Amino acid sequence: MNAIEIRNLSKSFRGMYAVDNLNMTVPVGSIYGFIGENGSGKSTTEKLICGLLVPDGGEIKLFGKDYTDAGRRVRVGALIENAGCFPGSSVWNNLMMQAINLGLENPEEEINRVLKIVRMEDSAKIKFKSCSLGMKQRIGIAMALLGDPALLILDEPINGLDTDGMRIMREILVDITQKYSTTVLISSHILGELEKIATHYGIIRRGKMIQELSAKDMEGRCRVFVSIKTKDMQGAKAALKEEFSDVREEDEYIRVYDVDDTEKIVEYLFKSGHVVNEIKKNKIGLEEYYIELMSKKEEE
Amino acid sequence: MQTARELKFESPSFIKRFKGMLGVDFYRLFHTPLFYIFLAIAAIIPAMLIGMTGMTNPDGTVTEPIFTNVWQAIAADTPIYGFEGIEKYANMNMVFIFGGIMVSIFIGHDYKSGYVKQLFTTHAKKSDYMMSKSLTCAFAMACMCVTYLLGAVLAGALTMTSFKGNFLNIVCAILGKMVMSLGWASLYAFLNIIFRRYFGISIASSFFFGTGILVIAVGALVGNTPILNIFLYGASVFACLSSSFANVLACLIVSVAWTGIYNVFGSYILDKSDVY
Repeated sequence: MNAIEIRNLSKSFRGMYAVDNLNMTVPVGSIYGFIGENGSGKSTTEKLICGLLVPDGGEIKLFGKDYTDAGRRVRVGALIENAGCFPGSSVWNNLMMQAINLGLENPEEEINRVLKIVRMEDSAKIKFKSCSLGMKQRIGIAMALLGDPALLILDEPINGLDTDGMRIMREILVDITQKYSTTVLISSHILGELEKIATHYGIIRRGKMIQELSAKDMEGRCRVFVSIKTKDMQGAKAALKEEFSDVREEDEYIRVYDVDDTEKIVEYLFKSGHVVNEIKKNKIGLEEYYIELMSKKEEE
Repeated sequence: MQTARELKFESPSFIKRFKGMLGVDFYRLFHTPLFYIFLAIAAIIPAMLIGMTGMTNPDGTVTEPIFTNVWQAIAADTPIYGFEGIEKYANMNMVFIFGGIMVSIFIGHDYKSGYVKQLFTTHAKKSDYMMSKSLTCAFAMACMCVTYLLGAVLAGALTMTSFKGNFLNIVCAILGKMVMSLGWASLYAFLNIIFRRYFGISIASSFFFGTGILVIAVGALVGNTPILNIFLYGASVFACLSSSFANVLACLIVSVAWTGIYNVFGSYILDKSDVY
């Protein structure tokens, strides 16, 4: 069973398709990184899953049943765009309202639990409008965590956060998935951060899903390369091209792709009369993989 | 990873769902200043109207009393639908105008803050939302009727205005107005659903319909015809100082009927349109 299964989902605004025949599968227990450029349809898809938008067509299933099923919906928590709290009310009151809405048996206990998860036990009495951006995002997560959700949908939860805020948020998300086994659908532009936690990826472009893959698959697809700096970059590059199939000059380095044997390269360059000043092994990360995939799609 | 077997999904019953939604609205009502501000406004208005009685103007003349009897601040002597003197309209019906503004702010904040996303992401149904808002706001408006009454009585006692009147008729008039709160609250909830993205228009439309200007205009054209009682404003006017329990019953029927209509259409609109 999948946590989310979407088939041929479409949504248009004034004739323009924001989501166009989208297919998506989010396995139970995964942290699904939802990637795409601005306006690619990430937020619209998430809003559709949350039932905030009415789809033009297609099918959305949550844990094997239609997404409108109240039994499924009661176990969905979301942070879409902002926390959705009343600014004049305290953090506690905002959480209490959602706890009442969910019909939780021990709301006070549950609020204390989620505040502890997001490390805001001491901020319950603060008015929401007085909270910093990082705190607001964490309150949004706390709100989404009320009532033991089986699925969390988080739209750009780390946007605008400083380094420390991002670290805290990352730790919280890892905690949630490890301790509570919640499936998380998370969209973000900060791919470096996403890479640290995601177990699956979905890449969306112009409303269509162009690729879905697990972190393991991604690992396999990400190419390794060796970066080299020498005195005579052009000469070394020409020499390496004779021996290796994919040699490029990028970011002030010569990159030799699909090779991870640094000794072999150093030896070869030495024989060709080049002295290596700097050499390091690298692997293409999610960000580079994404950029490469996007430029390929652009060419198509 | 969580396995499919460990996942349990129980559909909440209508009662559990609705209790949750109603609980949220009442919690919010009692935990934000909005409700208390409007209660105070409802008490101040009749006090000001009655308090103006007999005031001396700067030129030495004495202001003509608006009311010679405290209960005139509660309801008109007889149902008058067409336009007459403004004093005939300056009674408890004004609660429905200010109540409209309160409902607009109450619902408008759901959308402005984004809280509505939290509600509809979970199990809440659109019809629960409409019903809950109608009931909560009706309760708030009924409370405003009570503080209006208290304001009028207190001001009447302080200015020594006459309290002469038939107790049963007065109680029926007040009950009639309070019962009408449900219909008015539903109308405002409906208007706010339509104009949910435009806060200003929501308030303006609530104010426009709350004044009963359409019924007054029709009344002015066709005269005092009981057929106007089928409308919210007409039924509200029908609850007057010559009311009996029959009037209260008529108000209840009209109020519940319009509540049903507005709730059905409001839920339909919410169901068929994007929430946020």
